[in-house]
Amino acid sequence: MGDESKNSTEDSTQVNQDELILAQQRQIEKEISESIPLVGELEQISSLNKEYSNDEVYLEKIKDLSSKYKSIRRTRPDGNCFFRAYSFAGLERLLDKKDEFKLFYKQAEESKNVLVSLGFQQFTVEDFYDTYMEVLKRIGDIENVEDAKKTLHYLFNEQGYSDYMVVYLRLLTSGQLQKDQDFYSCFIEGHRSVADFCHQEVEPMYKESDHIHIIAACAALNTGVRVVYMDRGNNKSVTEHDFPEGCTPSVHLLYRPGHYDILYP
Amino acid sequence: MSLEKKYNLKSPGVKRLMREARELAEPTEEYFAHPLEDNLFEWHFTVRGPPNTEFEGGFYHGRILLPSQYPMQPPNIILLTVSHHPESWQPSWSIRTALLALIAFMPTPAAGTIGSLDYTPEERQQLAKKSKNWECVVCGKISENLSSKSKSTPKLTKEETTLLQQIALKAEEDTNKKEEPILDKKEGSTNIFQANEVRQRMTNSHSTQNISEALANEYTETEVSLNRSGV
Repeated sequence: MGDESKNSTEDSTQVNQDELILAQQRQIEKEISESIPLVGELEQISSLNKEYSNDEVYLEKIKDLSSKYKSIRRTRPDGNCFFRAYSFAGLERLLDKKDEFKLFYKQAEESKNVLVSLGFQQFTVEDFYDTYMEVLKRIGDIENVEDAKKTLHYLFNEQGYSDYMVVYLRLLTSGQLQKDQDFYSCFIEGHRSVADFCHQEVEPMYKESDHIHIIAACAALNTGVRVVYMDRGNNKSVTEHDFPEGCTPSVHLLYRPGHYDILYP
Repeated sequence: MSLEKKYNLKSPGVKRLMREARELAEPTEEYFAHPLEDNLFEWHFTVRGPPNTEFEGGFYHGRILLPSQYPMQPPNIILLTVSHHPESWQPSWSIRTALLALIAFMPTPAAGTIGSLDYTPEERQQLAKKSKNWECVVCGKISENLSSKSKSTPKLTKEETTLLQQIALKAEEDTNKKEEPILDKKEGSTNIFQANEVRQRMTNSHSTQNISEALANEYTETEVSLNRSGV
């Protein structure tokens, strides 16, 4: 009996601590969502300096970065940043290239059937597909490129649309992984099947992206990306990596541990 | 006021729920769910106890609360003592998926599962029988909510079947076992689950948090997460 009451005291302390952690986590999430837009405005590369004012390693690398890129567009660090940044930057670039956009649009139109044939549920895939196509259509219909880009930026900051774009790209990525599972299975750690990996690490929102996500997303959208790595490593310059290797990248992303932003040459 | 007028139809979440409401408009033999007339984000549902289990012949009624960010955030499915909260929720799942998982999970012989009531199979059978006459203030006699014709039940897709095999409701059995007072609640509730106090909770919350939340709760609500086995 005595033990029981002791247990319950411990439990209630536990509760309080857990609730404090939860509350703090909520608070952090709230602060992030209030202070950082889903997809930010264009900023100069030098705007990164203020984040690292006393950090020689980073300052040196930012210098190197600014010799290669003009500007940066920050995205919200919510675990979806790769998908959101990649999707936004890819579409933004396509708006400058009408022919490529048309081709991309056509592929996107067919993508739902591809997913359904892979075994995805028609009902829910349709939900995300419809919104995805609606966004493509809306920006594609605008004659003036600058106006189209503004609309794209607006839609990517509307949580509803923006998240739907992310989900659909996650589904496409999952589809790609499952389609080529013989290849991708070599890169999956632990004893998980590709399908399990997709259900656990690709399809759920807020799950962060790894190389394998990036490779599959690039293959799914047929859009190469250059990821520029900037961390506290010893070399003085930033490291670049193209996905798929040897491609001419259409999208440039800056990676700092745990987060992707968009870069503009 | 009609739902169409009340909500922003341009919001993808609202569109999605309207769509799910249309998809689920016809009762099936196994489940039926519909939004409340004045609130698209709260639904009532009835499921039939799966055949060849001690739940056979029973009807189980509860509420589904949809967060404003649905489907990015998971629905809360509430039975009297249990709040089912899919842990690794995916936006491509739906209310239908969640209900099917609930039915599939009912006979799973784990401690503190559905209803979290440690009834014997005999007691469960008794309660299942009683449930036929139970009425919900909103939905009426719940045993009449479901269709009796099997043809109206949409066939499970291959993907759904695989999915349901993978989903397991993870019960926080340890907490439940310690809770003696749950027996007091037996009377009057039968095993018809009606919503009790509901708390908002974090999405993607982890089982440890759930355990402590459950412990803290006076209603001896037990958290069960819709989870994939082996995660």
